[in-house]
Order: sequence, then C-alpha cells, then structure tokens
Amino acid sequence: MKAHATGELTLHRLKKIEIVIRAEDHHPVEELLKAAGIGGWTIIRDVAGMGHAGFHHGKTIFNDHSGLAMFVGVGEPAAIGDVARGLARLFATLPGVTFLSDVEVLRSDYFARAAGA
Amino acid sequence: MNMMPFATAPEPTLTRTEVSGLIALAARTVPPLWPLESAIAVNPLAGFEGMAFEEAVQAGARLFGARQSLPLAQWRALLAGGRIAEGCLRDAAIRHLGGTYPALAPIAPGITALDLLMARLLTLPATDEVKASPMAPDAAFVAKWCAAFFDHGHAAIPMPHRELGLYRAVLAMAGHDPEFHALTGTLGAQLLMTVPRDPLNAIAEALSALGIAEDGQQPHLAALVARLPGWAGHIRWRSEHADAEHAAGAPAGMADLLALWLLLERAGALTQPRITPQPANVTLHLAAHFGWSRDDVRRALAVAGAPLTRIATMDEEALGLLFMTAAEWTYADGLVPRLQAGTRAKAAEMPASEDAAAAQLVFCIDVRSEPFRRALETTGRYETLGYAGFFGLPIALHPSGAARRKRLLPVLLSPQHDVAEAPRPGHEPDATRLAAADATARHAASLFDTAKQGIATAFATAEATGPLAGLAMAARTLAPRLSARIGAWARPCRHEAFAPALDHASAGHAHPPFTLADKIGYASALFRLTGLPTDTARLVVLVGHGGSAVNNPYAAALDCGACGGHAGGSNARILAAMLNEADVRAGLVAQGIALPETTHFLAAEHNTTTDTVTIFDRTGVPAGHAADLARLEADLARAGAANRERRAGLLDRSPQDLLTGAAHWGEVRPEWGLSGNAGFLVGPRRWSKHIDLEGRAFLHSYDWRADADGSVLATILTAPMVVAQWINCQYLFSTIDNDRYGSGDKVTQNVIGRIGVVQGNGGDLAVGLPRQSLFRDDGSPFHLPQRLLTVVLAPLARVEAVVAANDILARLFGKGWVHLVVIAPETGQARRWRPDGAPQAEGTGLTDITA
Repeated sequence: MKAHATGELTLHRLKKIEIVIRAEDHHPVEELLKAAGIGGWTIIRDVAGMGHAGFHHGKTIFNDHSGLAMFVGVGEPAAIGDVARGLARLFATLPGVTFLSDVEVLRSDYFARAAGA
Repeated sequence: MNMMPFATAPEPTLTRTEVSGLIALAARTVPPLWPLESAIAVNPLAGFEGMAFEEAVQAGARLFGARQSLPLAQWRALLAGGRIAEGCLRDAAIRHLGGTYPALAPIAPGITALDLLMARLLTLPATDEVKASPMAPDAAFVAKWCAAFFDHGHAAIPMPHRELGLYRAVLAMAGHDPEFHALTGTLGAQLLMTVPRDPLNAIAEALSALGIAEDGQQPHLAALVARLPGWAGHIRWRSEHADAEHAAGAPAGMADLLALWLLLERAGALTQPRITPQPANVTLHLAAHFGWSRDDVRRALAVAGAPLTRIATMDEEALGLLFMTAAEWTYADGLVPRLQAGTRAKAAEMPASEDAAAAQLVFCIDVRSEPFRRALETTGRYETLGYAGFFGLPIALHPSGAARRKRLLPVLLSPQHDVAEAPRPGHEPDATRLAAADATARHAASLFDTAKQGIATAFATAEATGPLAGLAMAARTLAPRLSARIGAWARPCRHEAFAPALDHASAGHAHPPFTLADKIGYASALFRLTGLPTDTARLVVLVGHGGSAVNNPYAAALDCGACGGHAGGSNARILAAMLNEADVRAGLVAQGIALPETTHFLAAEHNTTTDTVTIFDRTGVPAGHAADLARLEADLARAGAANRERRAGLLDRSPQDLLTGAAHWGEVRPEWGLSGNAGFLVGPRRWSKHIDLEGRAFLHSYDWRADADGSVLATILTAPMVVAQWINCQYLFSTIDNDRYGSGDKVTQNVIGRIGVVQGNGGDLAVGLPRQSLFRDDGSPFHLPQRLLTVVLAPLARVEAVVAANDILARLFGKGWVHLVVIAPETGQARRWRPDGAPQAEGTGLTDITA
C-alpha cells in the first residue's frame, strides 16, 4: 500500500469498487465481498438511473427487492481485483455494472483484508 | 465400493470470489425455505422466473425429476366435472397448433389436425402415473447429516463440531460413519484427509479435479443444489432471511452443502440422474381411434406427415399444459365479462348507497376474506375494503416471554421497527399471571423433554406421566372443544392482558419505535393505497386473520402470508391505535385527510378456520359507539355462521364439525386454506361486489382516480401481487407434483428439527404443501392448478407505464407467470397482456376478454 503526505494528512492509495445491481441480487454481491476479504462496504439503496433496458426507478414502498442498489467497497488492489473476477462470473447471468477507480483514504487499517480470506 | 486410484490435489483454477459467484448463481436453483413456525408460500421455481413459464416448468422437471402437469386422467376428470370448459380446451388446442388455419388443415379425409389433438386430449388411453422413486444413497447421506447439523435443539445429543460449520463438521464425523465408507471406499477416506477445510477452496479444487469445463461449472453446481431442494432452501433461508441468532454456533452456507456433494463426486459416489424417456409415438393408436387402415396411415403421413407426427409424439405433460391453459381461460371467461359489465354500468364510479356506511372494514386481501366480506355486506350497510394484511407496517414483534421476535411483514421487506408487547393498562395483574404461567409451562416442557430423552430417566418419565398423558389425549380426542375450553379457562386471555407497545422499542434491538412522522405516514398509506374515503364511518375496523389448527406442522400456512406466516391481529392493533391518536389525526389533516371526530378505529382478527371474529381493545371504544359495536358484532357473527355453512359444504362436513376440527389434534384438514386461488383483482369493491368470486380471488382495493402518477398501482403490483403469485405458484406446483413440489401425505410426515417435515424417517425437507391441503380424500384435486389472473381497473396507458418501469412486472407478465387483464374504467374495454413472443389471441374464449 502506498502512502503519501498531503499537507498535514497522510493518505493511503487503495482501489474502490462500485457495483450497481438489482436490489434482489444484493446477497450474491455481499457473499462475494466477504469471500474476497473485504471487511466492510457501503450500500446505497433505491438507486435510480438510465441503462440499456431504459429508466430504472428506485424501489417501491412495500418491496425492498425492487429497484437497484449500489455497493461501494474499498480495499487493496489485489482484493478489489478478486471482487472484480467474481463479479465477472455473476454478470454472466445477472444484470449490473461495476466501476473500479483509485482512491485515497485516511485510515488504511479500516480497509485491511480480513483474516482467512 | 469405489475402486478409483489415490486422490490427487490439483491446482484450483478458480479464485474464491469466482467460486462465490458461481455458488450464488447455482443457489438460485431453489428458493429459500422458511421454517415451520413462519412458513410462507414460495414458488418452487422462483429461480426460473427469468424464463418463459413453459420453459421453466420443463427445466424444473429435468432438474428436480418432477412432473410438469397433473396426470392426464385427472385433467379429464376435471373436464368431465365441469371445472374446465371444453370450448376453452379446443381454443387452447387451436393455439397450440398455430391458429385456426393449421388446426383445421386436413390430415386425412374428414379428419383435421384439431381432431387428432382433441382425440389425444380427451380419448386416447393415458399412461399410468409414475410413483416417485426412493431417495438415492448419496442424497440420503447428505440429507442425514443436514438433519443432524440443522437440528434446532430437538436432538437429545447434538451433533459435535457444529461450530466449525456444516462442511467441516461432516468432514470430522464422516470417517466414523459406515455409510460414508460404504459409499466412497478407500478413496473417500483418503479425500477426507486431504481436501481443503475451507468449502470455497474445496469447491475450487474439486471442479479442477473433476475437469468440469468453465461453461459447465455453474450448471454442474446448480444440478447438485437441486438434488436436495429442501435442505438447500433451508440454507438459503438461514443465510439470507433469518435473524443472526438462528445460525449462531452452527454456520452453514451453500458452499458447505456443495463442498459435501463434490466430496462424494470426487470419491465416485454420486448417482446419475435418471434419463427422461422420449415420448412415445402414438400414430397407430390415433389410426385405430379413427378407424384408419394401413393405407390411410401411409397416405396421412405422405400428405401431412409433420403435423401428424408432431401431434402423435406430444408427451402427456404437454397435453396437460393445454388443459391448464383451458382451465385459466375458463376462469377468465367467467370472470372478466362480469367485471366489464360492472364497469360499463358505471357501478364502479357510483357511490355504493345514498346512506353512509354503518362501518367500514378493511380486510386482508387473502382469498378467504372475500366470501366473508360478501356475507357481511348482506347483513347491513357495511363497506369492505382489501389491503395487504400487514397493514403497511414493517415490524417485528417481541411477544412477552418469547425468545425470538416474529417478523410480521412480507418477506419482501425488512423490519424497520421492533415492537415489544406490554401489559395493557388496567390488566397488569393478568399480564403478570400469564407471564408466570408461560414461564412455568416452558420450564415444565423443558424438564419433560430432558427427562424423556435422558438415558436413566426415560422409562421412569413414561411410567410417571403416561397415565396422565393418556387421560389428556382421551379428553382431546373425545371432547376436543371442551378440552380446549378447559385449557383456556385457567389462563387470562393473551390479547386482553398484552398489547403491542407503540412508543418504546424492545430491549436489545436497534430499530427505533415509531416517531409521530412514521405513524402519520403509515396511517395515510391506508387511505392512499386502498382509496378508503376520508368521510369515514363511525367505526372503521382493521381485520387481520389467522387460522386454528392443533398438532399441525402446517398451521402457519393457514395464517397471514403478508404477516410472514403469522396471524395479523397485532398489525391491525398497532395501526388502529395509531389512527386513534389525536396527534396522528392532526398530522393527517395536514395531508388532506380530515377524518370525522366521530370515527373510531378498531382492530379485529378473522379466524379463517372457525369464521369467528375477535375484536381487540374494546375497552377503548367510546361509550357513544357501544351500540354501533354491538350491532357490528352481531352482524359479524351472522356473516361468520353463513360463511362457515358455505365452507362446510366444500369440506363435506357440518359447520359444527369445523369448530371441532379447529381444536382436534387428529384433524388433517381444518380448512382448505387458499386452495382454489386464481384471481387478483385491483379495483374498488363496488366493481366486484355483485359477483360471487367463490373465495378464489385476492381483492386489493384501488381507486385509479386518486393515483395519477401510478405509484399506488406500482406498489400493489410489485408487493401484494408478488406475494399472491408466490402463493399461487406454491399451490399450483404442489398440486401437479405433490411428491416433488409439495410434501406428500400428512399421515406419513415427521417433523424434523422444528424446521420442516420429511416423509418417513428421513430424507429431504419437504418444500411445499401437504396432499390434504390440495386434494380431496378420494384423490381428486380440490385445487385447480392454474396461473394467477390479475385484473386491474385502470387506464391502459397507466398500467403499461407501471409494468415498463418495474422489471419484476415485465418478467411476471412477459414470461407468462401471471396473466394480466386491464379493464378501462371509462369504456369497460378489456385488454389482455400478451406474453413475450406469444401469438395474437385467437379463439372464442380469449376473444371475449380482448374485445
């Protein structure tokens, strides 16, 4: 993990993965993140947007499984790469998109790979 | 015994995440299976809903070894009994043949293709029903260890090493299991020592060792998941839906199950799936039926060989699907024109009566509410509405003294509020007495279980308690209702002693209690989603429902599906209490919902087995409403008696016998439950009030005029209708193959680990409904297997927009899992939603509903 100082802050360079998937498919993504050793992630529910199949609305009020959800995870490049490999298998069948990008974080220990993964 | 060479450990080619992705996809072969205490309906082919219905049924049949339809003989009996119109069957046959022209094309002089197909459907001999084959030894081995691992504290001696997880625990035990040795031999013993202990790594290694090609890996794993759909479904429930405490101390995921299967496969112990036989060619039977000579057959093959062969080689499953289509069209033909007539008469837009309603009652949409509502409406000026039975409240209830919370909401939702039970004001002594009695009963039951299962105490326990238990059983057998009354006499009534507490959360849970804004939101949703008018009657009653059954593992299946397989009274009590709060009423005014001050909200629960209605929290009813309540209760009793009489006829019993059955420990069919379900109506009650829907339709109230943006319709179709579709599919598939998709005969079932039932003394968990819930005692189906027909009273453009914007609806309607008919409110014109790729409607039956 590379680190550099910006003024008084020490930042650590990591990879970020964003995954937009149908809300009903959230469980496979969670399992995959765990398998890669990602210790935590953010879920943004009720994501709406325009895609290949037209406009996707957010979830309806009585169904948590309708609409789209977005996962955001940060980790070491190798772990995020593992996530992307697993997603490639998922996306062979399920609709969804993913974005990888470089990010800088303050507390690198928050994003260390989980033991045993 | 296996004689394969020593196991090698090849280098895996897949990463753990790739394996995880493959497992996640393979797991979808089966739906989650809820445990008995909260059993809810699921579509056993839910994982195939991305396919067209017919393709999915075929895929399911291949994977699970299941039937695709009822046996032909049963369909013919249903036709002969008038439950299917022969004209609809002809229309289905014409559609199958590609339309009128090819259907009427001559095959031989005076004989058309349609004649041939109808002869196959109606006359040619049907093959005998094939009985399910016994479980293979490899599946029996995996099922045995699943049962031991997932036991919920039932076993006297728990399985060791459960804390390691299913896969590792079995690895630790299998070496001592003679069955494992018999199945796998020395290779199995070697593999036990060498395979990775992590299930993901073990799967990666096994896929390499077995040489499964990349494009075959996911189907390979899916086929293994399908070998034991019950246990795989239980694992999905545990992983995806259960509270964490269910899995505490015994982790298990689908990877564990698959790693076990692959261990057996690597050891050469996997049995091969049975090969589906090719359908027979019945050309000669057809020839005999029509009196053809050999020359006639030769000429027919020369002139019309292709259609003749196609008809002659259709398997009986495909013929059965035509019967099912005919059953669906028969139902639609009977229902849709009457709804159109009601619409055209402008009944849907006119007030129900010049007089205000004496009371409004909001029932769950459950099909069993419909005949009760109709019976009640005949007794007085009552307006009834339909709303999902959890009344829009995403809650989990913590009953006083219970170890676990109950999720009183559809499984589509997660609880947002943890609600505790608290003593009702003025009833604290009763609550204390009841809590003490519950604690004593739990302690005694635990003591009895321990003594019964103890090596030293088992016989002494039987000696000491046997006579008493025998007397109790005699009483419960000879006088079950009296026995139940005596049992209840010594205990305070639970709903009188306790009530859900709205303003403080239960201890140890993070979900907040209701804020005022929450309460106003849930209260206003009642009006928005049902079209309940704001000039409410003096009494508005929210009516949940639940069943009554004793000694019945499927008791939860009689309760409210929208309440997660529990009775719905608590949800009704909570919403009624909210609606009676002054602050909530004030908040509603700000949203344009100004209710009369004279309106009081009440909660009730309809017992669908006895047709009695319990009114909750009656002490809160204002004195001025006492006469209204007395009149309502008298009319509820009259409606209950009328509906009980109607249901008794369907069960071939007396109304009194239904009351006895609700308390009898030996009753195998306390009620028909949701058997017969077929329709889902979205519109105002006035639209369907004049029609006897025979307890076959879910009724959701909807006012299209108050839903300009379609958001209410989207909510109704994406949630209550989805739950109804699950129920419909569970009944459908449990009927067409009760061994594979249902749970077989109740008489030979055993409850296992408090989580499900198995047939006999072991095997897979049953995934569906028992035979007694679907078939009469003579073996004829009471439930007619057919797909749900949803009828919506709304402008077509609005419905189209809602379907287009929601993937799940495009899938269900487009792939033919649910039939959709839209009736235009202004004209009464009906339009059928044509599934993707389906031909243009043709035939008399269908024309009627697509005018």
